[in-house]
Amino acid sequence: MAERQPTRDEDKREFAEEQASLFRITLAPLVWAIHFVVCYGLVAVTCAKEWDIVAVRTGLLIFSACALAGIGWVGFAAWKQWNVAETGDFVNRGGRAEDRHHFLGHAAFLLSVISVVGVVFVSLPLIMIGGCQ
Amino acid sequence: MAVKNFGQGTRCRPSRRHIGTLVSLLSVAGCGLHQSALNPAGRDATSISTLFWVMLAGAVVLWLLVNGAFFYMSRVRPGQFDQRYARHILIGGGIVLPVVVLTTLLVWGLSILPDPRRPGDGLVVRITGEQWWWRVEYWPEGAEDPILSANELRLPAGERTEIRLTSARVIHSFWVPALGGKMDMFPGRETMISLAPEKPGSYRGQCAEFCGASHAWMAFSAVVMDPGAFDTWLAAEAADATPPQDEAAVRGADLFLSEGCGACHTIRGTDAAGLVGPDLTHVGSRQTIGAGRLPATLDDIRLWLDHTEALKPEVKMPTYDLSPTELDDLAQYLEGLK
Repeated sequence: MAERQPTRDEDKREFAEEQASLFRITLAPLVWAIHFVVCYGLVAVTCAKEWDIVAVRTGLLIFSACALAGIGWVGFAAWKQWNVAETGDFVNRGGRAEDRHHFLGHAAFLLSVISVVGVVFVSLPLIMIGGCQ
Repeated sequence: MAVKNFGQGTRCRPSRRHIGTLVSLLSVAGCGLHQSALNPAGRDATSISTLFWVMLAGAVVLWLLVNGAFFYMSRVRPGQFDQRYARHILIGGGIVLPVVVLTTLLVWGLSILPDPRRPGDGLVVRITGEQWWWRVEYWPEGAEDPILSANELRLPAGERTEIRLTSARVIHSFWVPALGGKMDMFPGRETMISLAPEKPGSYRGQCAEFCGASHAWMAFSAVVMDPGAFDTWLAAEAADATPPQDEAAVRGADLFLSEGCGACHTIRGTDAAGLVGPDLTHVGSRQTIGAGRLPATLDDIRLWLDHTEALKPEVKMPTYDLSPTELDDLAQYLEGLK
């Protein structure tokens, strides 16, 4: 049987279908990165300039809770997109558009998990170290 | 000429050939007990030491588990595993276990992190890193002027002392492994570390940041004393130098001034008021000279005066062209400055 020839702009069309998924996959690590930079930067400047560390710490803890909620929301959406509970397919090896859709949900979910761990690790010093010691 | 090693009587015996590498390493480590983070003499060093041993034990357990799993899967039971079982192993061993272990270590590490930055119980010691020695100022609680010293740090046991650090020209790092962690010293900036020594004794501190030709010879003794003995010592340290008694020492004192030593060194109670080099008011009572370079014995002080540049490359103090008798007199005078 002759191998199927790709149609004109097939890659482009398939990519366009998953554009939103590809964008969503970056969201959780992006929140983690922003949280990291804001926490380290703001605490360093606060301690150097002797601003009110208690207020900054409280603000950053609220910001951390928001970051976790945001990542949680992305992770939940990704979990639904992965749809493993219904399909039972963990690896999505198939080459269909649906498999690609599920796989991108899978990847976004795992990135959300690691982003939660990252945000929690960056937030722990805020909880355990009171000031600028 | 033969240049002596710094030391306070501790020397390593060569290990026997048949003893394994590990045992040799352990015996070498055992020779440096007065400068070992594994021989803690203070609260902060104990935290670091405990952390090290727990992490070492944990690393050994993890190493055994990972390599045991490799061995099991490649030699004992090669072949395909049930997918569900393999998935549990991967998620449990590859995600859950590292997250739990790292979180536990992070929480523990963060719980001890603020200790060396806690304020002291009263006494503050300011230390300035010079090339290559330590300018030391003791500020007891309420003091308006410091008690000046050099190249030796004395601390009361059972109390937390604030050490405020800075540097004159290049970056140094203050470290007494037996008492706590290290802290960098920057020109134009003050950093702080506090130490809570517990066991009286003498420990070795060392500059831990490369700072020039004689970096390796920039050391000091950290002497931990009972609080009562420390107070007595500090009162003596605050006093002027005792005038020399015997003839040789009197000649040495004259020589000290006539050779211009006082332009760089201070000996309180005399005309010597230089600030370029270490304060020598009580140099004879210190355990070492030349910032840990040699023990403060009469012979070693003489050796230092006769071979300064050879003993400490690029040091600012020149080797003076003195006769043997003059060297004896000068050494006698300095050794008598208790």
